[in-house]
Order: sequence, then C-alpha cells, then structure tokens
Amino acid sequence: MLNQILDVKGLETRFRTDEGIVHAVNGVSFTVDEGETIGIVGESGCGKSVTMLSVLRLIPTPPGMIAGGTAEFYGQDLLKLQEEEMRHIRGAQISMIFQDPMTSLNPVLTIGKQLTEPMLLHLNMTQEKADEKAAELLEMVGISGASERLKDYPHQFSGGMRQRVMIAMALSCNPKVLIADEPTTALDVTIQAQFIDLVKRLQKNLGMAIIWITHDLGVIAGLAKRMMVMYGGSFIEEADVKELYANPQHPYTIGLLGSLPRLDGKHSERLVSIDGLPPVLYEPPTSCPFAPRCEFVIDKCLKENPILEEFSPKHRVACWVDISTGRSR
Amino acid sequence: MLNYIIRRLLILPFILVGVTMLVFAMLSMLTPYERASLYVSDIPKRQGAIEDIIEKYGLNDPIHIQYWHWMVGHEDKNTGEVKGGLLRGDLGFSTVGHMPVIEVIKHRLPATAELALLAAIPLIGLAVWMGIQSAVHHNKLIDQVLRVLAIIGWSIPTFVLGLLLLMFFYAQLDWFPPERLSTWASQVVQSGEFTRYTQMNTIDSLLNLRFDIFVDSLRHLVLPVITLSVISWAFLLRVTRSSMLDTLRQDYMTTARSKGLGERTVIKGHAVPNALIPVITVGGMTLIGLFNGVVITETIFNYPGLGKFMASSAAALDVVSVLGMTLFSSFVLVFGNLIVDVLYGVVDPRIRLD
Repeated sequence: MLNQILDVKGLETRFRTDEGIVHAVNGVSFTVDEGETIGIVGESGCGKSVTMLSVLRLIPTPPGMIAGGTAEFYGQDLLKLQEEEMRHIRGAQISMIFQDPMTSLNPVLTIGKQLTEPMLLHLNMTQEKADEKAAELLEMVGISGASERLKDYPHQFSGGMRQRVMIAMALSCNPKVLIADEPTTALDVTIQAQFIDLVKRLQKNLGMAIIWITHDLGVIAGLAKRMMVMYGGSFIEEADVKELYANPQHPYTIGLLGSLPRLDGKHSERLVSIDGLPPVLYEPPTSCPFAPRCEFVIDKCLKENPILEEFSPKHRVACWVDISTGRSR
Repeated sequence: MLNYIIRRLLILPFILVGVTMLVFAMLSMLTPYERASLYVSDIPKRQGAIEDIIEKYGLNDPIHIQYWHWMVGHEDKNTGEVKGGLLRGDLGFSTVGHMPVIEVIKHRLPATAELALLAAIPLIGLAVWMGIQSAVHHNKLIDQVLRVLAIIGWSIPTFVLGLLLLMFFYAQLDWFPPERLSTWASQVVQSGEFTRYTQMNTIDSLLNLRFDIFVDSLRHLVLPVITLSVISWAFLLRVTRSSMLDTLRQDYMTTARSKGLGERTVIKGHAVPNALIPVITVGGMTLIGLFNGVVITETIFNYPGLGKFMASSAAALDVVSVLGMTLFSSFVLVFGNLIVDVLYGVVDPRIRLD
C-alpha cells in the first residue's frame, strides 16, 4: 500500500457575486497516493479548477472563500495554515501548471528569471547554481540550447515550448504533487501527445503524484489510473479508469462518453450531445444538479441531492436511478 | 535595441521636415499684405511702402521658393547678405518680446523647464504609486478615496483651480506668492555675485549656497506646480490603476503565486513591470503635454516662462512668435516622443526585438 499524501474532505468553495453567492465547490472529497495519477473530468464551469485552486489556497479572496472542509497534506491541514507556511508548500511541495501557456508566463521577465525563482525561494540556491539547474530542467523537458534560451523571453517560445517551460518550472523543486489544470487544452493534437509523453516520462523519473484536470476523456484514458467525474461542484462518479469507461453508471458520465468519437465505432453513428448548460448554483443544491438535463430523471431526483454511494468496490456513483432498469435503486 | 533606436532616429528628420511644412502652410494662409504688415510698426508714410516690403522679403514668390527661403535664408538683393533661415536658427523677430524669437526661447525656457520638471516629479512619483496602491487595494477605502480625488482633480478646470489656489494661499494666507521670485531675491539673482549656471532659480540658488533664495523660489513654484500637474496627476493615476487592475487579473499572476512567492514579490516583481508599460506611454505624453500646457498656468501666476509669452503673443496677434513657438513645441513633442518610444522598448521585450 502506497502512502496517502493528500486527503481532501468535504471541500466547499463559494464566490460572492452581484447576483448572489455562487456555490462553486460543494463538499468534494478525494485522496491522492504517492506517485499516482488521478484524473478529474467535467465540462467547463463545473468547479474542477476551483477545487484545485482551493487546495492551494489560490482562490482570490474576496470574492472567493473556502467555506468548509479540510485538505490534509501529510496530515497537515492546508486550509488552516498561516499564509507564510502555505507559501512554503506552494511550488515546493505542491505545484501547478495551467491551461493557457500563452498567458501563464510573465511576458516581461526572462525564462531564466521565472524558472529560477522557485529554486532561489525554496531551495536556498545561489543564482549561479539555480541557473545551472534551470538549464538542466529545460534540457530535461526537451528544449535544446537550454543555457542560451534562459535569456529569452516567453514570446520567443511557441505554445508547446512554453508549456514545457511551465512544467520545468513546476518540477524545479521536486514537488510531491503536480496539479495539471487542463495543460493540453490549448495545444494542438500532435503537441498534446508529445506533452503527455513528456509528463509520463517525468513522472517515471521524479515520482510525483499528478492530479490531471481535463474535459478531454481521451487524454485521461492514457494517463490516469483513477478518475472522478465532476458536475455542479460535486463529484458524481468515481472509479478506476477502465471500470468507468466500460461501465459508466451516472447518466452524465454516459453522456460524456457518448459525445466522444470512437475509432472502433460505426461511421454512421451520430455523436450524442448533452442538451443544456451546467448550472450556476446560488443555493446549496437540494436536488440533483444534473436533473434538468437528465433523461433518466425520476421524482426523487428533484427532491433530494444524491450523494456518492458504492456501486461496486472502488466504483462510487451519486445517482438515484439504476440506469439498467431506469428505476430508483 | 540599438537597431531600434537607430531606426527611430532615421525617421526623425522626416517628421521634423513635415512639421516645418505644416507650420509654414499655416503662415501662408495669411495674404502677403497681412504678412508684410507685421513688419510695419507705423502707418506707412508713402504710397507703395507695403509693396516694397513684399518685394524685399519675397512674400509674393511661389510658395516652394518662400519655403526654401524660410528654411535656409534669404539673400538681400542690395547687400548680398544672407539673412534668416530656420536651419541657421532664425525663427523671426518677435514684436512682443522685442528680440528674435529664438532669443526669447533661450531666455524663457529655463523658467518653464523648472516649472515642468518640478511638476513632473510629484506627478510621476505620486500618480504611479497611488495608482498601484489603488489597484492592489481594489474597492477598499484607499481605492475609493483616491478614485474620488482623481475624479475631482480630473474635472476641475486648470484656470479655476489656479485662481482658487491663488485666492486662498496668496490673497488670504500669503504663503505662496505668484511670479517667479520676490523683488529682493530677484535683485540678488540679477546682481553680479550670483552666478546663473542653469537659469533655474532652485538649482542656481543651491549652487550659489543661497538657501534663502532657494526657499523663496520654491514658495513661488508651489502653486503653479500644483495647478499644472493636478490634471495630469489624476489622469496618470487612473491609467496606472486600470493597467494594474488588468495586470492583476492575468494568468501569470496566479502562476507567480503558485510558485510560493510572497505577495510583495508578486506585486513588485511580476505585476508592476507589466502594468507600467502603458503608463510609460501615457506618462511620457503627459510630461510633454506639461511642457506645452504651461500657457494657462503661467498666465494665471504671471510666471515669466514660455507659456506666458505664448499667451501674450497670441493676444497681441504676433504671428511670428506664435508660429515660432508652435514650431518649438512641435520639436519638443517629437523628441519627447522619441524618448518615450525608446523607453517603451526598454520595458517591453516584445517591442525591443522586432
């Protein structure tokens, strides 16, 4: 049994807006073991990024606030730490890469400056030592002529290259956990594949755990062992990747999988889309947030919000309906 | 970077020639008679006197020839002596100043420069600093207060503010008098034992170790400096604030925080260098504007600088002086612009390299 390093329980995050309080994350719980990869899947606006930003306490406060829950990292609740202590976790123990490599790097600072910053801060390196390490890191993520390129600015790199710089930066202090917030979404498909290979190789060599956020089920299939599906600020299904793909239980998961083209599918098959948009929750949900878009909906769905319950070992789902019969479980 | 500067310098002469053409075109909109009358101080005593002047100065020549003469000088048909010519530093003779326009500029520029520089320091320092604070503490009390002050500063017309200040701080309290120096100080400054290194009283008095004169010149500068800079201060504060707010929302700010950097480093090291890029453009233009915008301020405070001169020449219909000053202002603007562009390249690597 591997060591559990991150244990998030009942995380709740809210945002104060002009229209009211948005309940972005509503009681999310998950664990991460040393060196494993988990996937969090869901469409835009379902709370994936906010969940991870909350764990790192990077939610802008105000308007955001973490309303409840715990996030234990090696037994230490991150949500209760002083800001100063939290800073020693960010970038050093848990680091993060983001969706858009074109905007995630500071345009007026050199790559070298941005790359060495975490090392100077967390590892007490001298500038020369950090420069050396930075060049090694760039080499490691496959950027050639690394020591020269440290003097360059972000605009002199392509999107794929910038994402490589981002991951080099995130891994510079050997973190235990890497949070990858849709890092391949803005890259084109061939670059995506290269980048995923790179991440796999880095994980093999450095052994960090990865939390991979995406709305691309195809990406997760090749990366993660376990995955969670998120909707309306809650996890609605979680299982091992193979089990989830073979045997989805939540109507939303089924819908997501149905909207994917398959190489082995019939050519004449139409892709299924899920009508409607994810909800913006101004109240804590009292009914199933997916009910308005769900084709299996029954009375109970509109009266009570389902919680995650075991369907089979290691496969949990939050749905009142047994989809094989269409009736209440 | 050097490439960029050289390229900018190569374009410069063309812009300046363009400016002279525009100014000359304005001058040519007057008829030869109107222009000749500028040289006539009295009612002509004999018939044809005006025509003689028109003939003498070639005011009826084709416009390109006149332009050429204006630029390089004009040969006197009797003596063969070449007179005038912009390229030789002749901007014409100012009837208001009783001396050549170029002499007036030399004479009065230090006063205006002193005023503009002293206005620039609080302007840039305060406006940028306040703008950053305002954005960092977005919607907090300090932001609200600064926003209200900026709106007030932005909306009060210069002449109203100047007169109010004068009424209160001079007429009522007698703290800050108008003009440039008190009579006694002015006598000292013009005496032989006071060396006028720069013609700027604040600097010269320090160099001459006359601290009483230093204090006196500062007292005279306080109100004009405030009057001159308030609008630009308000404008620059608002530009800095919005630019900073915009920067704080960028993704790379989250990246910086996710690295574990402290809030101070995030703001100073990552946000401010980005936020200052538009501020430098606007700030540079504002400063140049200060140089040109001294007309009202100097008139209100009876401050003997270029602005006051411009106002009185315009009032006296001294076309030569007005055009000379226009040309001079344009040159200041063009050179100021060049400096801003170069600075822009220094702060923004994306500009520097293409």
